Amino acid sequence: MAQVTAVTPVAKMVGSNRVIQGKGIVYPLGDAELDAEEEKDLRRSIVRQALEALKTEV
Amino acid sequence: MKLTLAIHEVSDAKLGSGTTLDGGVLTVDADELREAILEDRRIESVDIEVANPGQPCRIGVVFDILEPRAKEPGTGSDFPGLLGPMAMAGQGTTHVLRGTALTVVDAQQEPGIASKMMEMHGEAAVNSPYGNLHHVVVVPHMIPGTPRHVELNALRLASARATVFLGSAGVGQEADSTEEFELDGPSTNREDVPRIAYIGQIHGHQMVVEEDERILYGSNTEGMVPVTLHPNEWMDGAVVCSYWVMRVETYFYQNHPIIRELYRRHEVGEINFVGTVATVAASLEADRNRNCLLAAHQAKWNLNADGVVLTKYGGGAPHVDMGETARICEALGMKTVVQVSDSSGDRRAESAMLFNYPEVDAIVYGGGGDIAWDVEPVERVIAGSPAVAQALAQMTQIPAQALCGVTNQQGASVVRAVVY
Amino acid sequence: MKVVHYLNQFFGGLGAEEQAGIGPEIRGEAVGPGRLLEQVLGDGSTVVKTIICGDNYAAENLESVMETVVNEVRDSGAELFVAGPCFVAGRYGVAAGALCAAVQAELGIPVVTGMGVENPGVDLYRQELYIVDSGENVAEMRDVLTKMAAIAKVTASGEDVGRPAEWGYIPRGIMKDEIVEESAAVRLANMIVAKTQGQPYETELTQTGFEPIPAPPAVTDLSNATVAIVTDGGLVPAGNPDNMPAIASTIWGSYDIATVDNLEGEDYEVYHRGYDNRHVLNDPDRLVPVDVLKELEKAGEVGKVYEQFLSMTGLANPLANSRRIGQEIAENLKSAGVDAVILTST
Repeated sequence: MAQVTAVTPVAKMVGSNRVIQGKGIVYPLGDAELDAEEEKDLRRSIVRQALEALKTEV
Repeated sequence: MKLTLAIHEVSDAKLGSGTTLDGGVLTVDADELREAILEDRRIESVDIEVANPGQPCRIGVVFDILEPRAKEPGTGSDFPGLLGPMAMAGQGTTHVLRGTALTVVDAQQEPGIASKMMEMHGEAAVNSPYGNLHHVVVVPHMIPGTPRHVELNALRLASARATVFLGSAGVGQEADSTEEFELDGPSTNREDVPRIAYIGQIHGHQMVVEEDERILYGSNTEGMVPVTLHPNEWMDGAVVCSYWVMRVETYFYQNHPIIRELYRRHEVGEINFVGTVATVAASLEADRNRNCLLAAHQAKWNLNADGVVLTKYGGGAPHVDMGETARICEALGMKTVVQVSDSSGDRRAESAMLFNYPEVDAIVYGGGGDIAWDVEPVERVIAGSPAVAQALAQMTQIPAQALCGVTNQQGASVVRAVVY
Repeated sequence: MKVVHYLNQFFGGLGAEEQAGIGPEIRGEAVGPGRLLEQVLGDGSTVVKTIICGDNYAAENLESVMETVVNEVRDSGAELFVAGPCFVAGRYGVAAGALCAAVQAELGIPVVTGMGVENPGVDLYRQELYIVDSGENVAEMRDVLTKMAAIAKVTASGEDVGRPAEWGYIPRGIMKDEIVEESAAVRLANMIVAKTQGQPYETELTQTGFEPIPAPPAVTDLSNATVAIVTDGGLVPAGNPDNMPAIASTIWGSYDIATVDNLEGEDYEVYHRGYDNRHVLNDPDRLVPVDVLKELEKAGEVGKVYEQFLSMTGLANPLANSRRIGQEIAENLKSAGVDAVILTST
């Protein structure tokens, strides 16, 4: 499991092993400040980081 | 910086003709107060009532409670940046109607777990710090179709206007007593006593701030970095509550329990109160990292603190920002104590914490989760809608967390969850 | 009061480590510390049975020792069960904790034990039991037994035991509200003054440490793997079919995404009071990234996107509840053949 969250200290505290930095509490995989295409690029990049973490031994 | 509070003790309040303060009796002319509030064209009408302590009466849903106050003309600005022109708060003379409260009802809110109310008699009232005050209650009704954030903006402005309108009854009157708050700030040198600072959150951005949300000198705190404030600024209108109000009222910025307590200890020579930092809890991790770091470093390098008291705003997530700020303070050599609010649904200590740093080991823990008071139905209810009025009138139990002030996060609460 | 007392081989006088393999032996009277226990209990209390068992035997045969002890306590008609104190003897502490918990659960009579805070039995049983903080020094036996007796008597009378520091037991982590004299502001000031001056202070909450979670091995070939999305952000289909609550959900839901390539706000609702839901309602992919994961599936980077996403509300949730939900979700996904999970948290 890879966990995407904007509050990484809590994920790490409870022992989550693969923690990915999300953008914000109100949109872990988005950003309302960006236009639609940029936002999807951001989301893709966060999901790819999560996939990369899943592929990596801890 | 020196602030003088001219205290006018109020022992009774009533509606009447002409707004006056006479012999400790506050008479509120509802038409005059209404006129002041209706300067805001977004408000269509306003109900005005007085609720005195000990009388069976229930009020809800409360938007905010404030202490009626007004600046002595020529010595400063009322709620600078929000209501009055920008000026440094915390100086000059402010008239205070001690014993009274201006309570603003949000007519659009439904009663619910997160909503707030006041009970004016019985055991519940005794346990609220607002239970023994004379409440002037205003219920603004908006023009239909007003967007929610505009309504909230109107409520915020109405609360400031009404507070100053009432406080003005003290202007020109001889005060019963004065309280003086004077600190030179971080330049004060005192041997052998610890230098103490306060870092307080004034918003939590997991609730998105609105553009028209006026919190700090009229700013909405979006994009805000931590800022050092003189303790007097908190108490004199620089800071008001956000639209999202959870266990916080502007009354306890004006009478900030932590700032007053640190002042008291400064005056008896127990500590050197060096100043405060206002900050916000973030939604974005980049903001969190920036805010936590800057808040801690301001306490260190601007205030040169030895010890820091930290509080958070709102609910769960802001604990993380507070804990992280405290951790950085400790790493910089400053001791910390933090105030945590109870979020353990199962009353288990293991469910209670959202941070865990060995050095952040001084925790004041608020409670409220398992206290509720049995109450009788009441006939008199001051509410924003018939539905809310009915719900309030028929209540048989008031949970501590629903009653204004009981689980206050600004230091006023005397409810503590003890770990057994 | 009739008392049954449990001791290990050492305190039961059978010998040291070489006797640790010995099975339960029953004596019809107080043995060793049991005599002192009778004294400090007073009121004509008698230890009617002492059960002595070797530490290794108890560790290796805990189930059967538990059964023996529960039966012996039941048969004796005891009104109190005492184990130890165990100080920092680890196997002894773990057995004493397990036996007290079993007797308490099966027979409903008061139980009490004592251990040093480092004893591994403490973390296992502190939430369920009154464990007197015995420290590590056996010479404190009388003092420890006196505290154990005081707790035993008050629980037997049906009254509440007071605060841990006053009664000498290790905090159980159960929180009770009290209205106190000093406001939070005064307590904060007291604590910061003490802490900056190097004086003692008593925190109102000790933080909980979390056990490390063993990391599952990497999924080296994601192009042949099934990946699921789980969220604790409270996203549910419009109409909220499972009645997901907006705070501390005790349930989780599993919702079909087999035929959609991205999530539309109008099809979903959010039940979560801990964050401003508007941005997720505008585009639920900001929480449950179906759009990009399906693209990556088409591109062959991911074998298959699991046809459901799982959701719950992770706000102010009791830890025990979260653990159960986590367990259930993991079992559900495992049995569905899911190889990897992306969990999104608000």
